[in-house]
Amino acid sequence: MLTFGPLAFAAPWILTALAALPLIWWLLRVTPPAPRRIAFPAVRLLFGLRPSEETPARTPWWLLLLRLFLATLIIVALAQPLINPGARLVGDGPLLLVTDDGWAAAANWPARTRALADMIDQAERGNRPVAVLTTAPPADGSPLAVSGLMPAAAARRLIDGLEPKPWPVDRAGAVRALKDGDLPLPIESVWLSDGVSAEDRTGEADELARLLIRFGPAAVVREPDADLARLLAPPETAGSILVLEVQAPAAPAGEGEIRVRAVTESGQVIAVAPVAFAAGARTGSAQFDLPAEARNQIVRLELDGESTAGAVVLLDERWRRRPVGLVSGGALEYAQPLLSDTYYLGRALDPTAEIHAGALANLMELGLTVLILADVGQVVVPDRTQLDRWLDGGGILVRFAGPKLAESDGSLLPVPLRSGTRGLGGALTWTTPARLGAFAEDGPFFGLAIPDDVRVSRQVLAEPNLDLSDRTWARLADGTPLVTAEPRGKGWLVLFHVTATPQWSNLPLSGLFVEMLQRVVALSQGISGERSAVPLPPLSLLDGFGRLGAPGAGAEPARPEIFEDSAVGPGHAPGFYGSNEARRALNLSAGITPPVAIGDLTAALRQDSYGQSAEIDLLPWMLVAALIVLVIDTLAGLALGGQLRRVAAVTSVFAVSAVLLAFAPRPADAQAGAQGDDSFALAATLETRLAYVVTGNSALDEMSRAGLTGLSQILTVRTAIEPAAPMAVNIESDELAFFALLYWPIEPDQRDLSPEALAKIDTFMKSGGTIVFDTRDQQYAETSPNSFRRTTSVNGPGAQRLQGILAGLDIPPLAPVPDDHVLTKTFYLLRDFPGRWSGGTVWVERHAGGSNDGVSSIIIGSNDWASAWAIDGSGRALAAVVPGGAAQREMAFRFGINLVMYAFTGNYKADQVHIPAILERLGQ
Amino acid sequence: MSLTDDTGHAAGLARHRAEQAAATLPPLLIAAERVAATVAPGVHGRLRVGTGETFWQFRRYVTGDPANRIDWRQSAKTERVFVRENEWEAAQSVWLWRDLSPSMVYRSRLAEETKHERASLLLLAAASLLVRGGEHIALLGQNRIARAGRTALDRITLSLIREDDRGGEAIPLVRLPRYGQLVLLSDFLAPFAETEHAIRHYAAQGVRGHLLQVLDPAEEELPFRGRIRFEGLEGEGEYIASRAETLRGSYAARLRALRGSLTDLCSSIGWTFGHHRTDAQPQSALLALYSAFSEDLA
Repeated sequence: MLTFGPLAFAAPWILTALAALPLIWWLLRVTPPAPRRIAFPAVRLLFGLRPSEETPARTPWWLLLLRLFLATLIIVALAQPLINPGARLVGDGPLLLVTDDGWAAAANWPARTRALADMIDQAERGNRPVAVLTTAPPADGSPLAVSGLMPAAAARRLIDGLEPKPWPVDRAGAVRALKDGDLPLPIESVWLSDGVSAEDRTGEADELARLLIRFGPAAVVREPDADLARLLAPPETAGSILVLEVQAPAAPAGEGEIRVRAVTESGQVIAVAPVAFAAGARTGSAQFDLPAEARNQIVRLELDGESTAGAVVLLDERWRRRPVGLVSGGALEYAQPLLSDTYYLGRALDPTAEIHAGALANLMELGLTVLILADVGQVVVPDRTQLDRWLDGGGILVRFAGPKLAESDGSLLPVPLRSGTRGLGGALTWTTPARLGAFAEDGPFFGLAIPDDVRVSRQVLAEPNLDLSDRTWARLADGTPLVTAEPRGKGWLVLFHVTATPQWSNLPLSGLFVEMLQRVVALSQGISGERSAVPLPPLSLLDGFGRLGAPGAGAEPARPEIFEDSAVGPGHAPGFYGSNEARRALNLSAGITPPVAIGDLTAALRQDSYGQSAEIDLLPWMLVAALIVLVIDTLAGLALGGQLRRVAAVTSVFAVSAVLLAFAPRPADAQAGAQGDDSFALAATLETRLAYVVTGNSALDEMSRAGLTGLSQILTVRTAIEPAAPMAVNIESDELAFFALLYWPIEPDQRDLSPEALAKIDTFMKSGGTIVFDTRDQQYAETSPNSFRRTTSVNGPGAQRLQGILAGLDIPPLAPVPDDHVLTKTFYLLRDFPGRWSGGTVWVERHAGGSNDGVSSIIIGSNDWASAWAIDGSGRALAAVVPGGAAQREMAFRFGINLVMYAFTGNYKADQVHIPAILERLGQ
Repeated sequence: MSLTDDTGHAAGLARHRAEQAAATLPPLLIAAERVAATVAPGVHGRLRVGTGETFWQFRRYVTGDPANRIDWRQSAKTERVFVRENEWEAAQSVWLWRDLSPSMVYRSRLAEETKHERASLLLLAAASLLVRGGEHIALLGQNRIARAGRTALDRITLSLIREDDRGGEAIPLVRLPRYGQLVLLSDFLAPFAETEHAIRHYAAQGVRGHLLQVLDPAEEELPFRGRIRFEGLEGEGEYIASRAETLRGSYAARLRALRGSLTDLCSSIGWTFGHHRTDAQPQSALLALYSAFSEDLA
């Protein structure tokens, strides 16, 4: 390899061919260019002519230069120039690539793969076999192993499929694999490290480095300390605040560069908190202080700008603060807080729950998960059923005993109580205050440590009955129930047989009280089954980059101890397990110790970094450039030979058509559309015209046209409206605004309308247009009231199709034409509206009064009017009317006239509705 | 357009072609007649007594004159009897030919139309002029008998268009009546010996002729530059000029020499020779041609 600064040649001996350039130059100079060919009739006169000037034709100097440049380009390209030639490898012979692909490697993964690809390229150029070892345990759980020596191309395929794993690397395993793998020694090795090791495993990195040095020349590639992957520890809840800890492998230099984002289920970032590092410290902290509702939406915390599995913490129910309502029966809350129930309950619940205190009726409106009634004798609720419904829906009602409860009638209690209380260790009793007994194994308190010093001196007693022991969660040492509970629907009714104050026991003063309340609160929202030993199936898992995705083939259900230990590894990728309703988060950062930078390891190790810019092989680019120059040269040669015009014509045709294909359709369409619109608009507006909608059925369209032609003629003869020939309107493409009345026969096979067409029709109807839908199926069935607005179908095929078409439109309520509707009196006085058929109901807007001058924007009928109106060129009717007779056709024409008058003139005839009343008032 | 001698299928085919031709005939004829109209309207008389329609003179009746020649109106004015004599309007036969060789189908960028198109236009225009003059016209090598009148013009037009398909190259050597006139339109780029042979053939028959050389401006000026391979249109071969611009002088000399020998040949036998460029107005060439006619016809 020959290197000049950032440029190097992989095959420099080819450059010797540059010496041949002068020869090429001389050859090109003496070869004249190809002559132009010209047809010339008087060529006979030229025969034998000697030119007066005998200068030989030469290749022009610029063409000469171009060709020399082309030759140079090809020679240099074949010498395989490289920009930024990587010199990551020093020796020759086999090469061992040790690649960290654990969670920390994801931080700078593109640079890693680029470095890997560079090295494999170099190995390929040097024809060196490559062995690859990845240090993170494979997803299928198999042990780490070194791949055999293979050609660089095969290694590249292997590397291309490499992805970072969402669990830590196993360097001890890597060392074992290297010792077991029978690699030929010496072997040059490069360790593409992720730059960190777990705090308790720093020795393994050293061991790996020493082993590589023993194998032969070794190098380690790692990032600068500031770029190493950071770990985000699961948050702690401190009251209403989420406290986060970020563990960096090295103390950061700047401040405020790292931020933590809180992301909701839908991916929305609802909060960003900066991470504060103390000077020189490797751990920083951040805080989220959010309202409980917002906090409960957080499912994911992540380090801004870092995409590793370690920079993501998934939150499940354990981190949610639940709204808890507190109701006290006492009246001392404000005067003497230490005697108040709510004081102790509030202190116990505040770190984990959102507490609302107040009257029961108000609290029920808040959507609580847990309601605590402290010594409330009689539960007074305005709506008892509301409380029951809440309980059945998953609410937990916790009651504490007290003097009032002891005297109450015992409703809303898990177990029936004896009236009165049982006192222990009082002046008149011979027993001592009781200790706590063991917790019920199927209760939520199982597993809590029982402090020795908790004593209960007074309690309420349950009536002994058969299911008392089933309902007991906690009992005293003598077996009397301390906490009883009864499931109510999805919810629970829980009774603490003591007060929430230290009056009856010192339980409220103990830590156990806090834990018991937290367990009870955690019981809500369905995580009570979490304690079970059933392994949870993977729901969605993180990949190495910290992206949630569907679990892969290697994912296994996680047993409870996996969650206890946060044992992330092959088969148990971090992510959500369980079901969508009750999911449990497994976090990588919970199970590993903070990362530390591996540092320089040993001095014998060559240090390398990922920061190098990638090597660029110029060979293909220069060959492309040479090809372009060759094309230019060919064109120039053709131009000199006089043949360019033909070539240029062909080329320009291709080029122009290509350009047209690429760019023209839109403008061309727009232009065509604009021209079409113009002619259409002029035709529609210069004369008054009736219009019909083209259905695509040519017979039907012809009938519509003939019908409107006939109607237009009758209108011209009888009325002041003198329409020109009717126009066909394509509902999808034509502008509708020019027409007052649109006749639309329904074709049963008609396609659905596009959303644009629907919008256009909607605008047309709302801006004063009237559409006459003619279902033409009166002979089949009668249309039912307002069925057009619903999708019930009891109608003919046209009406059914019409329902389909109108489904996407905002259709006002419809009604049959009332007897005194304007449509019956705009020109003729009509009682019914026959067309080709007779008797079909005609529907109009029920309340057309307000807009559009009272003209209904939609008229629906089934009488096939166009056929009744249709006439041919000589004035004869085209279709027979049924049942028939000239009278029916005449009435059809009269309806047509009324219809057009109605659409054109509006409701001024509506005044005649009042004529009888006016005449009556005038006394006639 | 006499197609009566054709029969059956041939007749049908011929009529089809005639109809095809007729479609293009009006524009060509109109163009030719427009050119002709600007040159010379009117019939030329013979300036002597003879058969004709134009009054020439009254003369005294002499015995032997047929009685129906007596102009009674004139005779009634005096005591003598007069005979009305008209001017002799004798028609001549003119034979027209234009070159159809491939070299005529050439147009350089400097001209609007090919030499062939221009030659056809000139030929028709001349024919139109001659018909107006009452002369009999015919196409050399096509028609045996020269005819007069518009039908003759139509017939020639049709022949011209039909002939495009066939293409006669050399000057046809046929027998012509004595004192006929011959008009030859060509680029005369064929070897001079061939041209001379044909011309002498007709001169020997006592036919008078007019040669009009139609050339493209490119053929006159040789406006090419650089290295050029000139290729003939009739398979003459090719010529490679390394620098075409240097040939201009010697080429012009050769062209002059060709014209000189043609002029010499013509003047030696009493014919006329003219030349015309396709980028010039056709009227000028027609005027020259017409003046040559008028001398002869007078």
